[in-house]
Amino acid sequence: MNKKKSFLSNLLAAPHILWSIIFIVVPLFVVVYYAFTNAEGDFTLENIFELKAYIPTFLLSLWYGLLSTLICFIIAYPFAYILSQFSANSQRVMMMLIMLPMWMNLLIRTYSWMLILERNGILNKVLDIFGLASENGFLNSGGAVVLGMVYNYLPYMILPIYTIMSKLDPSVVAAAQDLGGNRFDVLRRVVFPLSLPGVVSGITMVFVPSVSTFYISQKLGGGSFMLIGDAIESQFQSANNFNLGASLSLVLMVLILISMAVMNKFTDSDDTGGAIV
Amino acid sequence: MENNIIIDLKNISVSFDGEPILKDLNLYIRDKEFITFLGPSGCGKTTTLRVIAGFIEPDSGDVIFDNKRINDVPPHKRQVNTIFQRYALFPHLNVFENIAFGLRLKKAPKQEIEETVTAMLKLVNLKGFEKRNIQSLSGGQQQRVAIARALANKPRVLLLDEPLGALDLKLRKDMQNELKNIQQQMGITFIYVTHDQEEALSMSDTVVVMNNGVIQQIGTPIKIYNEPKNAFVADFIGESNIIDGIMREDFQVDFSGHRFECLDKGFAPNEKVDVVVRPEDVDVVDVDKGMVKGEVTSVTFKGVHFETIVDIGGFKWMIQSTDYHEVGKKIGLFIEPDAIHIMKKSEYSGLYGDYSSFSEEFDELSDASVDNGEEE
Repeated sequence: MNKKKSFLSNLLAAPHILWSIIFIVVPLFVVVYYAFTNAEGDFTLENIFELKAYIPTFLLSLWYGLLSTLICFIIAYPFAYILSQFSANSQRVMMMLIMLPMWMNLLIRTYSWMLILERNGILNKVLDIFGLASENGFLNSGGAVVLGMVYNYLPYMILPIYTIMSKLDPSVVAAAQDLGGNRFDVLRRVVFPLSLPGVVSGITMVFVPSVSTFYISQKLGGGSFMLIGDAIESQFQSANNFNLGASLSLVLMVLILISMAVMNKFTDSDDTGGAIV
Repeated sequence: MENNIIIDLKNISVSFDGEPILKDLNLYIRDKEFITFLGPSGCGKTTTLRVIAGFIEPDSGDVIFDNKRINDVPPHKRQVNTIFQRYALFPHLNVFENIAFGLRLKKAPKQEIEETVTAMLKLVNLKGFEKRNIQSLSGGQQQRVAIARALANKPRVLLLDEPLGALDLKLRKDMQNELKNIQQQMGITFIYVTHDQEEALSMSDTVVVMNNGVIQQIGTPIKIYNEPKNAFVADFIGESNIIDGIMREDFQVDFSGHRFECLDKGFAPNEKVDVVVRPEDVDVVDVDKGMVKGEVTSVTFKGVHFETIVDIGGFKWMIQSTDYHEVGKKIGLFIEPDAIHIMKKSEYSGLYGDYSSFSEEFDELSDASVDNGEEE
């Protein structure tokens, strides 16, 4: 009976396992293989040494990633908090509005920003009325790249924070008020610590794609803000140097893993009580 | 109990989405008393508590605390603390920090915090639990932490919202005693909300019986039990046989086809009334010696006594006695004057106090209570 059952469950799990092997495990090995070989397929560390030239790119990517994550958090947290106090119906409508842009393709959304930000774009035209127009428009700047990231990834910050906020036991909040906490005390001492798990997953979901983004920086940065994602893309697409591209990818992966580990460490110690609900 | 009034609720009305929850409620609460709001769910008892705590602002009426109107004072500035139904402890803080929460907000000195927390843990019998995690505690222990946390703030009034509802029976009894002790030790006012009549009777100085947003009766537990004001109170507090009767004159009442002597007066001659006889106040005698006679229709063994249902002229009485009378036996009932309590007719008359649903012949007796006491 037991044996039969485990055979059955194995059978059911098989497609998933197969999928994971073909599309996750094998590609990972391929990346590692390319990263440590040269064009002839011989083992080498050259690709890794070559990365020195990309240190500024890595740093810029990390910086932009952190910056957009921080901005997303600053916008998303109060938004999610206030949203969770609304009536159930308004909450649904608002969530709908937040999700709506995500139904559109990233390319289209990014192109729209190009149209808004360029020299003859909508923003500049509006500002022109007040005599505030910028001579070169706002496109092709670091700010435009960060704006693009924030715009694209903001929902991924709002959603997990909002989810945990909406599940907060209202009587715990009432207890904090009852014990003498004003709005700020309640937020700082109860709501925020209890919403940390949501904050952590929000940060993860924004930071990872921000660090490795490539398309947004090309379109909104005008090519002058090459991020690590762009570097990887160009190695595979134009330079045809799979080996260097793979080593770049590998290092990026390791960087992200380290960031996540640090993040989890930070919450584990703070969160021994575990997330409620 | 000649204490000052600490809380005075004047003409309080509250409604949610147009549905009235509290209807023109008037109530004063004395300092240092143990008062209980008792009623079925939805009667408005918790709402009243939340009005006092400040979580609900009444649509109309005044909340007076210590002679000052506090309608506009937010919860965190009121000198009351609440024990919530499901404790509402802070899961991210340990026991010590939970109890210290209020004191930290007040920026109390470190030493005072430590002393108070230690004293509170001692008060609720949780010495040595400081570093424990909230989730690792049992329900009873969490409840104690909640009590300690509220009392650490040194409130003038402690509000308890069905605090023992989630505990098992044995633990509940222990906690009842403990709460009562704590109240006397601290010398503060306890306002307790429950739907458990036994809890209300055994702990309170004053019981407030509520139903449908209206106070039905206010009084000491003994008075509430012995002299219920209407059929609702009589039925809600303990078991009651509530029979239609006619007050012939002072101290003389007719019901179940017999004239009884009683201790009540002040009714109009021949006024229709509700008569309450508690099941434990009825004496079972031989058929020929009984004031009224009937046939046993069911018997249930309850441990301390037998619960015997007797059919008297179509009305089912409940009698609690230590003697066993088998089903089908004809018995007589003897009722002393002080076992009879007369109530004025109310909106609740005829709704309660008939035990026909206890009978096996339930269906044929659905109209049993209607024609009773009418025989002239």
